[in-house]
Amino acid sequence: MLLFENQKGVFLNFLKTGINPFEKFVSTGEIKEDLGLAKSRIDLLESIVSIVENNENFILPIIGKVGIGKTHLYWALKNRLYYFNTIHLSLEKVYKKFFYNTYSEFIETIGLEPLRNIINQLCNDWGALERKYGFFHVDNIEKVKNNAFEKLVNKFREGEKIALIDVITGITTHQLDPYKKIEAERWLLGELMNIKELSRLNLIYDLRKSKNAFIMLKLLIENSKLGTIFFFDDFEKIISIPKVIEEDEDEGEIFDRSWLYGKKPLPNESATKKVLEKILKLQRIEVLRIIIVLRADNSLEQVKRKISRLEEPLKLEVLEPLYLENFIEEDIFEFYLKNMEKYLQNFKYSTFYEDYPNSYFPLNKKILSSIFHKTKGNPREITKHLIKIFNEIVFTHENLEILLKKYEKSSQD
Amino acid sequence: MNSASSHILYDSLKKIKIEGDFNGSIITKCNDDPNSIIFSDNMKISYSEGIFISKGLKVGFETTYKKKSAFCKVLDFHWNENLSRIEYSVLVPDDIMQLYSEGQFSDAFPFTLNLLHTAGLFLDDYELGINHLEFFKGEILKNPISLIMNGVLVADRVVINHRGDPVFYDCLIIGRDENDDLNISYEPLTNVDDKVVKYIIILGIEELKI
Repeated sequence: MLLFENQKGVFLNFLKTGINPFEKFVSTGEIKEDLGLAKSRIDLLESIVSIVENNENFILPIIGKVGIGKTHLYWALKNRLYYFNTIHLSLEKVYKKFFYNTYSEFIETIGLEPLRNIINQLCNDWGALERKYGFFHVDNIEKVKNNAFEKLVNKFREGEKIALIDVITGITTHQLDPYKKIEAERWLLGELMNIKELSRLNLIYDLRKSKNAFIMLKLLIENSKLGTIFFFDDFEKIISIPKVIEEDEDEGEIFDRSWLYGKKPLPNESATKKVLEKILKLQRIEVLRIIIVLRADNSLEQVKRKISRLEEPLKLEVLEPLYLENFIEEDIFEFYLKNMEKYLQNFKYSTFYEDYPNSYFPLNKKILSSIFHKTKGNPREITKHLIKIFNEIVFTHENLEILLKKYEKSSQD
Repeated sequence: MNSASSHILYDSLKKIKIEGDFNGSIITKCNDDPNSIIFSDNMKISYSEGIFISKGLKVGFETTYKKKSAFCKVLDFHWNENLSRIEYSVLVPDDIMQLYSEGQFSDAFPFTLNLLHTAGLFLDDYELGINHLEFFKGEILKNPISLIMNGVLVADRVVINHRGDPVFYDCLIIGRDENDDLNISYEPLTNVDDKVVKYIIILGIEELKI
């Protein structure tokens, strides 16, 4: 076995390969995060889990400053609530073609096999499995379609009937017509299709058509065995565009924009209104839980004000917001150790921390503590500081002890 | 997978007769020659009034002009004093039916032959036997019903292998064990030597749609 001092040397040489253990400092909805939540945030996570498990339709606001780990919370929630479909939605992505993009995100998250199971179940409920003389299945697509239409027509509005027929045709074709199954599956996956392909399937529109995508979403969510959570990240983006205009109005601005643009709302305003209306349309989907993530109380108030101005009343209950707070001092030590451990495991070089589980090498507790105080516990700022230090360790030829002393000294200043 | 005797509604051999109204997937084996089979989704058994089946599908062979031909008829059945005409009636348990349903191919599955009318594929009869196994070698035939020794075999499809023997896929098998107790089982695949097959009937798809 190597002596501790020798192991330090080996470890430092390993770091010199050039990959920074803290390279990633912004969490995203696409790249999976499996680094668990800091201990101080477990209570918050459990509160959210309890709300999700005990309520069916609601909007839960979560408020936290920039870089505090809101998207990281999404991954922790997704891992904890593995028996739910937790869908990360970024308004920037779903802003245009809202239902189509939301549907695409939903399908991407749940995967192909659950999608097949849900529509198989739907078809069975519509009588596809009816056995003649108790034994024999005779596929009668038209009969199944009629059954489906009769069952569903009252759940949708008058203007949605054509879209409903399209959706029923898409689903039954996929399940009962093996000659068209592959094309029907492409349609179900939201692929863009030309008129020729659509007419072969007896369909009018693909899922780019907002009503089609909404009906598919409603059917899939309501018939999924798992509950569904829509996690809207950075939700205040919905109010950020028209914010200036509103402030002007509040402050009694001398310049009246209607002199130039008329009384009609600006394109941005109406776009925001449209997205909000579509989000409110989601409340027609039973058992859908919505979590919105905002940066401040003020943003929440603004969102509520905007919702109150819409024609469609809000039927969902907007719950009291939960707050995501900064790290406490203990969290930074845990965060550092977990990150380093994971980094080394990725390279199958975890022997160092296995032999010395509580060592903060190459840093020390004092430096970590000073980083915590400098950043006031903001996780993103903490990560940025750690990246900077590790870059110096990796890329400079300065002696480690001198480097650490420099950082210790700067922390005393 | 085997099922317990609680699904036996009537067994003439073991003197079992359970009174009541039954719904589900019921198979009744008749005592004619060769034994016909009745498929039904209902059965009413009453000690005083006998056994009723409403709209059951009877499948078997009949002799016309010194020729045997397969038939399937939708009829209402009533046996009271003539109970000796049926050997047994069993209600196939839901869990077995679920396995059977999951294993079924769609009617329109490519490369599967669906006969429009019901036809006899094989009949073991000294004088009027039928044997079309050679003709259908390598083909997939949908909806076969077979009597193998004394067991009833209902399958989703049958393939005649290179030896000319039938291979049944997705099968429900009802038969008697060494104690003559009735058993219902599901087998995903059953290889059978044609020497033990009494008959194979292919159900016509159009007749099922009526």
